[in-house]
Amino acid sequence: MLLDDLLRRRLVILSGKGGVGKSVVGTALALAARDRGKRVLLIEIDTPVSAARFLGANPSLGHVETEVLPGLFMANLDPRTVMDEYVRETARVDLIARKILENPVYHRFFAAAPGLPELMVLGKIMILEDERVGWPRRPRYDLLIVDAPATGHGLSFLKVPLAASNAVPVGPVGHNARRILSLLRDPRRTALAVVAIPEEMAVVEAIEFAGSAEKELGIETRALILNACHERRFTAAQEMEILALAATDVPGRLAPGVPAAAALTAARHHIRRRKLTQFYLKRLKKAVDAPVVPLPFLFDDRLTRQSLQALAERLEAA
Amino acid sequence: MSAPHQALAVALAERRILIVSGSGGVGKTTTAAALALRAAVRGRRVLVCTIDPSRRLATSLGLETLSDRAREMDIRRFDPAEGGRMWAMTLDTKRTFDTLVERHTPDEAARRRILGNRFYKQVSSALAGSHEYMAMEKLLDLSADERFDLVVLDTPPTRHALDFLEAPERLMGFLDTSVLRWFLKPYFVAGRLTLKVATRTGAFFLKLADRVLGLQFLQDLSEFFLAFEGMYAGFKERAAQVHEVLRRDDAGFVLVAGPSALTLDEALYFHRRLVEREMPFVGFIVNRLHPAAPPSSAGRGPAPDIDDDLGERLVEVFKDYSRLSKAEMKNVARLEDETGAAPVLVPELEGDVHDLDGLHEVGGLLLGAAAAPARRGRTRARPVAAAAGRGAAR
Repeated sequence: MLLDDLLRRRLVILSGKGGVGKSVVGTALALAARDRGKRVLLIEIDTPVSAARFLGANPSLGHVETEVLPGLFMANLDPRTVMDEYVRETARVDLIARKILENPVYHRFFAAAPGLPELMVLGKIMILEDERVGWPRRPRYDLLIVDAPATGHGLSFLKVPLAASNAVPVGPVGHNARRILSLLRDPRRTALAVVAIPEEMAVVEAIEFAGSAEKELGIETRALILNACHERRFTAAQEMEILALAATDVPGRLAPGVPAAAALTAARHHIRRRKLTQFYLKRLKKAVDAPVVPLPFLFDDRLTRQSLQALAERLEAA
Repeated sequence: MSAPHQALAVALAERRILIVSGSGGVGKTTTAAALALRAAVRGRRVLVCTIDPSRRLATSLGLETLSDRAREMDIRRFDPAEGGRMWAMTLDTKRTFDTLVERHTPDEAARRRILGNRFYKQVSSALAGSHEYMAMEKLLDLSADERFDLVVLDTPPTRHALDFLEAPERLMGFLDTSVLRWFLKPYFVAGRLTLKVATRTGAFFLKLADRVLGLQFLQDLSEFFLAFEGMYAGFKERAAQVHEVLRRDDAGFVLVAGPSALTLDEALYFHRRLVEREMPFVGFIVNRLHPAAPPSSAGRGPAPDIDDDLGERLVEVFKDYSRLSKAEMKNVARLEDETGAAPVLVPELEGDVHDLDGLHEVGGLLLGAAAAPARRGRTRARPVAAAAGRGAAR
């Protein structure tokens, strides 16, 4: 259901507060789409630690797409590289392009101009979406998933084309900004999914983000993914029993190396988190007019292909 | 008090600026506010300022809105030492920018020209990147503010916090180059647009710029820069001052991380950058550690009367949590190995922190108070967990 809805688009943008596991969710979503036979490109933006390492790959930072699994491509877009590429294409003549790229004025202008890096990256995403290959022409990628920078900055990231088209109505900058904007606003091509975890601040920001994306940018949120949910592992009666026992000093072991007191502490911790998870799930459902999809908390410290595949299956079932 | 706690306590007592940095979701904002509160309770006049645009601090302090004016918090209930006071504020990028313009423009006409410039309006309020420039501007303002003994600055997630570190250099580099001189040439001024450029490279560059960016864009930009003419000296001086403030002995960086390999990697990365830039480092804080696995000798005595099904599930949950905890401790050990700095460790709290009482308690943990198992059954997250935790209290 969720996948049907998201995968009908060409571009899925994942947004959310930092630390909510957007890159994990993005990778799982990419795996799920790939399992349905889609050619998927997962785009990260200027991340020092790429999600590709979860899949055992290590693509370099840059604009080149790397096929990390058959049908699953990844790119880590670096605004500078994208800008250089744009200059090279526009200049056409190598010598001129080199002159510009080597010019310190160019470097410093690019580094200091607010919004220009974001605009360049979004422009590149638009070009990737537009790419067609073969005969008859078909899209190079069936689906692009963008792991957008954290909220707050995430919204300003998506705001850049609107700001640029307001600031510079005519000329190539304004023209391209408007093309990007119309791609982002087109509900048939683009879906926005907001990621959160069951914690106060992440949830508040997710709700705010969904609201302002719609109000300020005219982009509707298609799904809310609540990552790192603690799911029920005891029956209601067992939970009561644990809470009663945990309040006392319990001696003995439940198994070799498993002191009863420590197990009860862990269980109490789990129950508290599970209740918070329930609470925030309800709150999100009430506040946001989009399906809310929970994904389980993972206990593995180093994520592997298997754990991500498990998340992908959860997305498929959602 | 162990050495890392001690280092943090000394910094709180003696420094004038503490910058709290780290990747997203590690409890940076809460940590900044908690440290500020503790310093205030110990008798300093402290301001905590978040430059994060999503106003997390406001949530942390249980306030719906927090203005860009320093607002005093009522901390009397913590019985502060003589003179201890606390203020909180958020950074309003647009207003800071406007203030900056007002301060540096020679006259009313110039001021109006800038504030009314289309380009300026977008840059000052909407665009990513302006936050960092304005945060550093604000930092400079605050560092000279006599009302405060200590300013604790919360920052956006790592990558942007790095932008923040580099903003002074970037702006200085930009103001230094011929970019400006180039834009300030008369051929850009509206109505007089010609391609009469003295040098051949200049002409090439201009033609290309037209193709890439459009002359209209360049004209707007040029007007924008022209409007700022006369302010550059002031801007540049400010940028150079920030550069110095960030390296002063009475400033310091506190790096916050979570216990996962990913966020610790980012903290390490940030630490390397600080060292490279010779910026003063105070210490690491690792938040949200899961309950540690008990020593193998634990669990003597007769086993409790628990049925098999519950027993099995308990063992499973216990194993999950100890696996997690072991991995976390390994990550923390690596941090210490690679930097030689032992971090301050804070256990995961049972609820979210978003009021002053919660912050006070977190502050205690940061300074080495024993973790609070005594709080069993109670919860810190007032409005929220009061509802969510109701079942637990029964």
